[in-house]
Amino acid sequence: MKQSHARLRVGAALAAAAALLLSSCALNEGESDPAGTAAEGDLTLRIGTTTDVANFNPLQSLSKTDSWILNAMYPHLLRLDENAEKVPELASGYETENDGSTVVFTLRDDFVWSDGEPVTADDVAFSAQAIMDNQLGNVAAKLTWVENIEVRDDVTVAFDLSQPYAPFAEGVGFWMSIVPEHVFSEAGDLTAFANDSDWVGAGAYILESMERGQRYTMRANENYPYAPEGGAAVQTVEYVVYPDINTMLLALKNGDIDLMGNPVPSSALGGLESDPNISVQSVDSLGFAHLTYNVTDETLARVEVRQALSMVVDTESIIATVLQGNGQPMVGPISPVFGEFDNPDLEPYPFDPAAARELLEDNGFTDGDGDGFLDGAQFEMICDQSNANLTRVAEVVRDDAAEAGIKLDLACIERNTFLARTKDGDYQIDLSQWGVFDNPMDQLRSTYLSSNPGGINYNLVQDPELDALVNEAATTLDQEQFVERIQGIDAYVHEQALLTPLYVEQFSFAYRSDRFTGFQPSPSDLLGMVTGYSLSQVTAAE
Amino acid sequence: MLSYIAKKVFRAVLTIWIAVTVTFFLLRLLPADPTLLVIEGDMTPEMQESLRARFGLDKPLHIQYGLYLAQLVSGDLGVSFRQLAPVADIILARLPWTLLLAGSAFLVTLLVGIPLGVHAAVKRGKAVDKVVQFFGTTSNAIFVPSMAILLLVVLGANLALFPIGGSIDPDTRGVAAYLSLFHHLALPLFSLVLVQIGPYALTLRTNMLEVLGEDYIKSARARGLSQRRVVWRHALRNAILPALTLMGLQLGTLVGGAVLTETIFAYPGVGRLIYESVQQLDYPVLQGAFVMLAFTVVVANLLTDMIAMLLNPRIRT
Repeated sequence: MKQSHARLRVGAALAAAAALLLSSCALNEGESDPAGTAAEGDLTLRIGTTTDVANFNPLQSLSKTDSWILNAMYPHLLRLDENAEKVPELASGYETENDGSTVVFTLRDDFVWSDGEPVTADDVAFSAQAIMDNQLGNVAAKLTWVENIEVRDDVTVAFDLSQPYAPFAEGVGFWMSIVPEHVFSEAGDLTAFANDSDWVGAGAYILESMERGQRYTMRANENYPYAPEGGAAVQTVEYVVYPDINTMLLALKNGDIDLMGNPVPSSALGGLESDPNISVQSVDSLGFAHLTYNVTDETLARVEVRQALSMVVDTESIIATVLQGNGQPMVGPISPVFGEFDNPDLEPYPFDPAAARELLEDNGFTDGDGDGFLDGAQFEMICDQSNANLTRVAEVVRDDAAEAGIKLDLACIERNTFLARTKDGDYQIDLSQWGVFDNPMDQLRSTYLSSNPGGINYNLVQDPELDALVNEAATTLDQEQFVERIQGIDAYVHEQALLTPLYVEQFSFAYRSDRFTGFQPSPSDLLGMVTGYSLSQVTAAE
Repeated sequence: MLSYIAKKVFRAVLTIWIAVTVTFFLLRLLPADPTLLVIEGDMTPEMQESLRARFGLDKPLHIQYGLYLAQLVSGDLGVSFRQLAPVADIILARLPWTLLLAGSAFLVTLLVGIPLGVHAAVKRGKAVDKVVQFFGTTSNAIFVPSMAILLLVVLGANLALFPIGGSIDPDTRGVAAYLSLFHHLALPLFSLVLVQIGPYALTLRTNMLEVLGEDYIKSARARGLSQRRVVWRHALRNAILPALTLMGLQLGTLVGGAVLTETIFAYPGVGRLIYESVQQLDYPVLQGAFVMLAFTVVVANLLTDMIAMLLNPRIRT
């Protein structure tokens, strides 16, 4: 007996030792001495994120969470301010020549790469050319019109376009990351360049080290021109990975992190309000939730049917219940976030199932079999099951539609399947949410042109009149006229009821207000609280 | 005996091949498209085509499969779609954490589960036995994520006894680093052990009851050997054999449990890598991880078979 106990103990000890050995190689090895890293008074801000950085190459298509880190590291010509307006970042400004066919950016001369090289017009030209040559990511679509790029001097770069395109400068300025030519030109094939070590950036914070699955540590760039006098108060930004949002919430409450990068779900907001150490900042979405109708469907091709559907959607109560008030209604396809472009004269379709039923009956729909539903008014509505708000909206709309004699079959499916089906036009009604539109012109062009240049004309609409309206607006340089034309399209699409907008969500970002203050949030969960600019303005709370 | 081993090895290789093939086709039969996962839907058909070509998804399925098998045989797991890094490197970086978590969970489960089962059998019908039986049947029914969140809320957030997620405090060195490691390991380990331990305790209990009724036990007792010696040396040795097979089988659920536990506790292991790769439709990483898991489970089963054979000569023939 004693013998067997002893054996057991030896076994356990051996096993424990083996386990230790296995992991000891990773035990904080290669880290500098913690005492040596931070000078007196330097602040470290820890941000929760749900997923690891998948791709460190800012020229490629990135996920939202990748963008948080990379956008802070690589400068953009323009940035989006708190009012969703494009303001100078690396560019000090831009102007057009040749009736809008040439767009000229003038750069600031005080941006410096973290290895000491200055940021010049050559870097801008290189980044754009590389994206065009390799058709990298969504920015390639923004550069569609570029025929030639001319570097006029160190701070001047001109893009010659095949035709004027009103929002060209804004689209490219906002979306395109500028990378250091002297690093990326040495990297070989840029479609396969991982860029996962020895980062050289010029944004507010530069990635310094990472432990995959755990944390990403960024250091403030002392040359970042927009940092306050004397440098950013937050010298270190650490992204910590919590795949589960509830775990991240607990970590914030416990003070393990200072800010949640991901928005707090509406259902969890109540629990944070009572915590005196935590504040919540609201930020508008740059996208919106909507029902979009596939007009290649025989029944949905009829405008009265789409209008009737718009009348069974109770946006007011959806915002109040599903979003718990954290959203605003919209009419037509242009979000109120874009201020002047949103046509103020549009009247929403009233929520009135009885009137909707009447409208359908006036147009020949009858309930022949007496089941309470109008014959032929039956549609499949697909949605992304990972969006908890939309799956609830789907049920609300289905129940209200039933009152009007419209039968909606819900198919809330796995996200990737959902994306593939919308891409293939394999649906009747698409209940979904646009992520980020940075300007109305790009949105209208991508969603309504018959040629479907962006692949997101989910209505599959082919309307020569609408095409003409969009193309006319796209080449309009006079601002007043441009606004008028966008408003005109807003009205046209609304009348056609190509979509039923649901809401513009407000994202809620929670942070430790007992420790930090001074975030400068921008709209959307792509930017939110964590842009390089915002983080560089943060100071310690009193 | 050699032919027995050869048969087992052949079956193991066959199993791995089937796992590889099923994983390969399962991923490609998903009605989803890895080229669609960008922030903005704004993507021309040409761009999508070029991405598809870059991922090697433009070739016919059987060619893709052939290329993949050839690659595997040469020991290459491929390159991640999203991270652009070799899959083997990505998995190896995460593997030590999973080995630590799953390995220690496995050990603790055995060290606690087996004695529990033995005690329950010896004290059949007494309170200990009833508790073990109740616990053994409920343990398997625990839903890991709810259990994990409960542990985090109570022991982590409310009582502040344990950290909320993570694997180690990066600012610790030396002994403190090891302490931090164990501190972070405690809750995920506990959740995993809790759901694993039931089957071991129950199996051991049943086997022990059977063995304790055998003639040789009676004769051992008749020879005046102490109860301890009879139970722990004579009976356990025979009762533990079926538990060996269970180990091989339970490994699969251990891995499944690790995916959930690592995700909730923000533990940086392979389980979470799988979770993330599913969301990103990163086929090469998923395939690599599944191949590795299939390999581990199959080899573990092979080993338990071998050990069982050594312990029990009857199997050899």
